[in-house]
Amino acid sequence: MQGTSEILEQAIEQLAKLPGTGRKSARRIALYLLKQQDENVMRLADALVNLKKSITRCSVCGVISDNDPCSICTNPKRDQSKICVVEESQDVFLIEKTNEFRGRYHVLGGVISPLDNIGPDDVRISELMQRINDEKQPIDEVILALNPDSEGEATAYYLNKLLKPFDEVEVTRIAYGIPMGSELEFIDEATLSRAFATRNTF
Amino acid sequence: MRTTRTVLQNFRNHVDTEVEWAPHMNVITGHNGAGKTNLIDAIHYLCMSRSFVASSDRYVVNQDAPYFTIKGHFEGNIRSSFDVTCSYSRGEGKKIFVNESPLDRLSDLIGMIPVVVLAPEDKKLTSEGPKERRSFIDSLISQISPAYLKDLLDFRKVRRQRNTLLQEYRGPREVIIEYLEPWNAQLIEYGSRIVAKRTEVLHQFQEYLAKQYELISGMQHKPHLEYQTFCEPSEDIQEIKARYVRALEKAQDNELEREITTVGPHRDEIVFYLDDFELRKFGSQGQHRLFALSLKLAQLFYFSEQLDDLPIFLLDDVFGDLDAQRTEVLLQALIEHAGQTFITSASPVPFDQFMNFDGEKNREYTVDKGMVTAL
Ligand SMILES: [Zn+2]
Repeated sequence: MQGTSEILEQAIEQLAKLPGTGRKSARRIALYLLKQQDENVMRLADALVNLKKSITRCSVCGVISDNDPCSICTNPKRDQSKICVVEESQDVFLIEKTNEFRGRYHVLGGVISPLDNIGPDDVRISELMQRINDEKQPIDEVILALNPDSEGEATAYYLNKLLKPFDEVEVTRIAYGIPMGSELEFIDEATLSRAFATRNTF
Repeated sequence: MRTTRTVLQNFRNHVDTEVEWAPHMNVITGHNGAGKTNLIDAIHYLCMSRSFVASSDRYVVNQDAPYFTIKGHFEGNIRSSFDVTCSYSRGEGKKIFVNESPLDRLSDLIGMIPVVVLAPEDKKLTSEGPKERRSFIDSLISQISPAYLKDLLDFRKVRRQRNTLLQEYRGPREVIIEYLEPWNAQLIEYGSRIVAKRTEVLHQFQEYLAKQYELISGMQHKPHLEYQTFCEPSEDIQEIKARYVRALEKAQDNELEREITTVGPHRDEIVFYLDDFELRKFGSQGQHRLFALSLKLAQLFYFSEQLDDLPIFLLDDVFGDLDAQRTEVLLQALIEHAGQTFITSASPVPFDQFMNFDGEKNREYTVDKGMVTAL
């Protein structure tokens, strides 16, 4: 292509990969950045690099955190006998905002999806089973708060089957008073809060 | 349901076209390639989010332009007044807006504006493979039941996941069987709901079909359709589920060997009969044509009864194939029973014998090189 910059095109390509960004808005962001002062752009670049390099995951629950273990896993006021299983860290942040749940979390880091080459061994299911098997911290409820799509359903089904032999563990799932097919992150707080309050046995 | 206006930009040969429609009969004449079909295909886009002619949106963009836009205004009994816009560009793909606000999924549009199409391609319905008949029944049910459409989409997704697992997994047999289980559960759930709904609707649809075939053919043959699925059809979801579980168990070895999902409504067949003989094997050209016409008329009447509104009816180039007597019967039926109707025709059909083109209720148009003139 003539009359355009290869460097600009490369930046647009990278930006267009971000969720919710099409080529059009990627171009707008790139041109916006070009107009900014150097230090502003550098600050953004540094923040992005730091995000990837310095941030850690809690080795217990898997949530993105500055400390390991995270502040939820180390908080003595939280109910240690309840684990809420979610797909990604952002789901933890969302549920925390509702103030409805006072137990701990387990972030799977994905859901089962053969199309994306993700099997049960590729998400943190064995880590969850270790926590269930840990006799020092008995678990009496596992709450499945996964997206109501096919992959979330398949993962919930698989987990429920694994947890069935544990008589002392009750498996519940949050009730969705939500539009079918919606992703967790698009649900407003009030709905999510009510969904938690009305969770039912799997 | 009716549309009062359609605006097309770079849609095939319509670079910039705006048409105001009459509430009942709209007859569009012009040479082949003038752009008649494109006009009603644009209306179809606003009802079903896709073309009824082209297999891909790419082919629909005017060759000199990077995008197309279609906008329509609709008025109906359920929703009294709203705009639908469909835009497509090669980079950004297709988007649908209802009153300027974007839909999350294209499928959210289906059912908002019920539509029935009769086109020359419909001869495939009775003469070709089961895929055509499945998409006919799916389009029919989806427009009256959003839950059915959701089940179809979920079933397709689960089947793709399951097929990928069957194809890609390399490991012990007992592990893949364990990994298949969560997908089996969903396959059975969605698949059973699809089979139950198809059974129910096809059962009701029989009498509509018989009535329309009799009307349009004037013949003594009795049409009949037989729904074939992996088990004995039933309207009871629990019954189907139990049968699905057994059928899937039975097919397990075969599925593991062939690495594909072999049991489910994606393999369903609907067999058409005239009296006792199978139409696809023994029907004449004329019988095929009349059967397809009856199917679409039956759909029109079925919708009219199931919904609180009459569907939009699009007839693309069908009158050329009908003799004078059939033309009259069909036109009379449309005038008396159909809602807003769009008819395209290359050769002038003596429509004014049957209806008054006053410009108020009924209107005639000519199309030439993408230019539309209301007469
Ligand atoms: Zn933690």
